[in-house]
Amino acid sequence: MRSVFWYLREFLRVPWIHAFLFAKTAPLLTPPYFREYPSLTDVECTHCFSCRMICPAPGAIEVLQEGGAWHPVIHRGHCLRCGLCVEACPEGVLSSGRILRWQEEDRTSFHATFHIAVDHTKCMRCGNCCVSCPVNKEQDPQMASGGHSSNDEVIMKIAGGKHTVIHEDRCVGCRTCEGACPNSAIQVARILEGLQGVAEG
Amino acid sequence: MKKVVDVSIPLGPVHPCWKEPARVKCETRGEKVLAAEVELGYMKKGIERIMKGRPWQEVLFLAERVCGICSVIHNMVFIEGMEAVSGIAVPDRAAYLRVIVNELDRIQSHLLANFSFCYTIEHETLAMYLLNTRERAMDCLERITGARVNKAFMIPGGVRFDLRDNDRAALLTDLDWIQNEVDRYTRMFDTGPLIATRTKGVGILTQEQARIARAVGPTARASGIAEDVRLAHPTYRKLNFAPLVRMEGDNHARIMLRFGEIFQSIGLIHRCLSDLPEGPIRGGGTCGAGETVSRGEAPRGELSYFILSDEYGRIVDIAIRTPSIMNIDACTHFMLPGVTSLADVTSVFVSADPCIACNER
Repeated sequence: MRSVFWYLREFLRVPWIHAFLFAKTAPLLTPPYFREYPSLTDVECTHCFSCRMICPAPGAIEVLQEGGAWHPVIHRGHCLRCGLCVEACPEGVLSSGRILRWQEEDRTSFHATFHIAVDHTKCMRCGNCCVSCPVNKEQDPQMASGGHSSNDEVIMKIAGGKHTVIHEDRCVGCRTCEGACPNSAIQVARILEGLQGVAEG
Repeated sequence: MKKVVDVSIPLGPVHPCWKEPARVKCETRGEKVLAAEVELGYMKKGIERIMKGRPWQEVLFLAERVCGICSVIHNMVFIEGMEAVSGIAVPDRAAYLRVIVNELDRIQSHLLANFSFCYTIEHETLAMYLLNTRERAMDCLERITGARVNKAFMIPGGVRFDLRDNDRAALLTDLDWIQNEVDRYTRMFDTGPLIATRTKGVGILTQEQARIARAVGPTARASGIAEDVRLAHPTYRKLNFAPLVRMEGDNHARIMLRFGEIFQSIGLIHRCLSDLPEGPIRGGGTCGAGETVSRGEAPRGELSYFILSDEYGRIVDIAIRTPSIMNIDACTHFMLPGVTSLADVTSVFVSADPCIACNER
């Protein structure tokens, strides 16, 4: 008998009946601080390839030209949502969570230097790296398929039957050459440094 | 020859009580376990091989993915190794922020380990309570770092994001909530008579046995060995860290020690937040050539990274030693033999908190 009273007292309460009839789980919302896949802001991309340089996931980001305008493309199946591309972009083209706003407030940035290393025992002087290089293409649009060029302003070219690096300082670290090399002979070391309170550039 | 073993019972690799695949082979006479053997190797990923030839900004993400539960400590030990190799100093504020995130990660890892144990002894109510509490710790981490599991928070020379004032207030509120909840569940666990029958005096690892098996982390500290790599860490030294120790060495001691460490972690975070110095969060500095062994206290024990890098900061060779392998050894050789009921085999194995993903990376 006592238990009957206990049950009645326990369950004939307005809050309990209300909870029983109108039970509803709170909707699942992505919180604003979650590092989502990077999305594009309205800022124009200058195709500096900083995002490609820093991206740790293979094949996650590309910088493509469509209708004369450049813009980064994120491949969601490959992206890790680490947010490094958002931090590396000097223009603020990409945004993810609160990273972009925090970066502006804290004045944090990444600075990178590059070193192009070619294994000459593997290199077969095909020139694919020199032709695929986007910086080379700007310096010398006429670069021949063998990677030969009369222009000395390019990053690298095939000169005298040998792969020659001329302007390592112009490298942006996009690693297009690594992907184009059939023998994995070329490697771009990216020496990255996290900075704060230093003007970018 | 006289047959001493009745039945050889394999448990796993797919077992409802285990979160990751491992096979425990038990030699039994009746219900009593005479000997046990753990068979690993169901989820080898080869991460160390993938790391070779890559710079820190790529290895960082691979190191985190060695273990999903304790990703922060992998991040921290690897980055501290790279800093030691290249002589990079960390700003004070960044060092404190690292400790805050690391301790939050320890809270969620211990809550998950205790959830796993409660689930294994079929106390699902307490298990679900603990898992619910863990969500709050994960939310804290997400608010600070932007991600729940693979945070990628630390970089050589500092951390990526600063702690904002409103996030700090929310963190303090959440920590109070976690402390109240865990306090309740600790009392439930400590005083529950049915829990006591499944935990007290089950799976005993004595201090000498723990030393022989080189047990680490909470498993060793529950057996009376006051070993903790955090004692040697400069930031933890500033916070007057002292490890918790229990003497019993049974299931109950291991779980209660983890509950104790959750409170200790909350205390450490409070101390960090009150001492948090102003200043930059990144000091800069490039990685260079060198060779080092970097150590840190993961939620399961001592984690060490051997790192060899070249002049451009790329990893030439790397070897990871995770804590669980020693604890699994202690479990196989000392905790499991002598267990009087086969139902306790799963709970004893889970109480050592074996992380198979860490082990096999």
